[in-house]
Amino acid sequence: MVGLTLFTPIRPQWLWMLKIGFPIARRLAFQHNRVLQFEFIHYVRWSILRRDQLKGEQLRYHYLFFESNFDGPWQHYIDAFAYVIPRNIRLLWGRGPAFPYPPPAEPLKDWIAMNSMEGGHYYCAYPEASTRMVKGALDVRERFAGLVEEAGSLDPEAFAAAYERFLADAQAGL
Amino acid sequence: MAERSNRNGVAYSLTVIAPIVAGHEEELREHIESLPMGPDDPLARLGSLHFSRIQIFSDLVYQGEPQKHDALKGSHLVFTSSFDGDLSTYLAAICDRLGEDADGWWRHCAGYPGTADRAAFERWIRDHQVDSSMFSVAYPQATVADVLDSLALRERIVEFAAAAQSAGPEELQRRFLAEFADR
Repeated sequence: MVGLTLFTPIRPQWLWMLKIGFPIARRLAFQHNRVLQFEFIHYVRWSILRRDQLKGEQLRYHYLFFESNFDGPWQHYIDAFAYVIPRNIRLLWGRGPAFPYPPPAEPLKDWIAMNSMEGGHYYCAYPEASTRMVKGALDVRERFAGLVEEAGSLDPEAFAAAYERFLADAQAGL
Repeated sequence: MAERSNRNGVAYSLTVIAPIVAGHEEELREHIESLPMGPDDPLARLGSLHFSRIQIFSDLVYQGEPQKHDALKGSHLVFTSSFDGDLSTYLAAICDRLGEDADGWWRHCAGYPGTADRAAFERWIRDHQVDSSMFSVAYPQATVADVLDSLALRERIVEFAAAAQSAGPEELQRRFLAEFADR
């Protein structure tokens, strides 16, 4: 498990687009699904930090704070971002100064490496579990509850058949 | 509105950014870097926490032309959490279960009141909170307890399936009911 944190300036002219775009995207399940479709992201967030919001500082720019919790390392997945959802990526960061505007993926990787906030302390409650494993296990548990519920009331032959069906249906999550 | 943007399903995204007292940065950095990992991590005591990151940032990356350089006057502590439930309950859990451990990193921040004064602690955290603009979660209805239970159950099922593969229907049912009576 890896945490990736980026903190990048937003061009003043682009702030309005993010302020309108995020609330709309938040309400549309397919926008969440576009980001999560690759099944290597557990949790991901974006925050707009206004230039007057960082206490004690006088900044020229508003900043975009991004944090993602991946099945790492992140370099393996940037190709997917750059080639499968380049429009989403460009909409989010495309008006930031010096953003490489993918595809291709290599300049994006260099840009992420340049902006990645390293160090610090990282915690995950289930560090060995990939996104696919977690989603699979949750699905298995739901299916299993049905089998457990009927297990005691079936005769042995019917139970064995139900058990085999469960294993076949839950196979992807096991 | 802001409360809603920090939520997705049962999960809440908290981002807290606070200025570090001048001269405290190195001591704080050493403290954060030396925090134990794994089961001994103090954050593990929270129970409802999926992910968390504690970082210091001292510089803003200059992107090159045509950007004008933004320079920070001081360093800032960034604390992020993705957890189950609402913010007040989570902050109360930090006071109850972390206490001095949480004070260990935030005491280096300007104006930090400490976890002993719960009301002041919550006010200070909310005052330094940066709301999420968008928060996406791969399994938004699953709590930490759900995830851990599901992963453990999955292991048990795999082990049971391997051990019982040659059992006849009667033995299979008997062993199944004995093994999973707790479910």
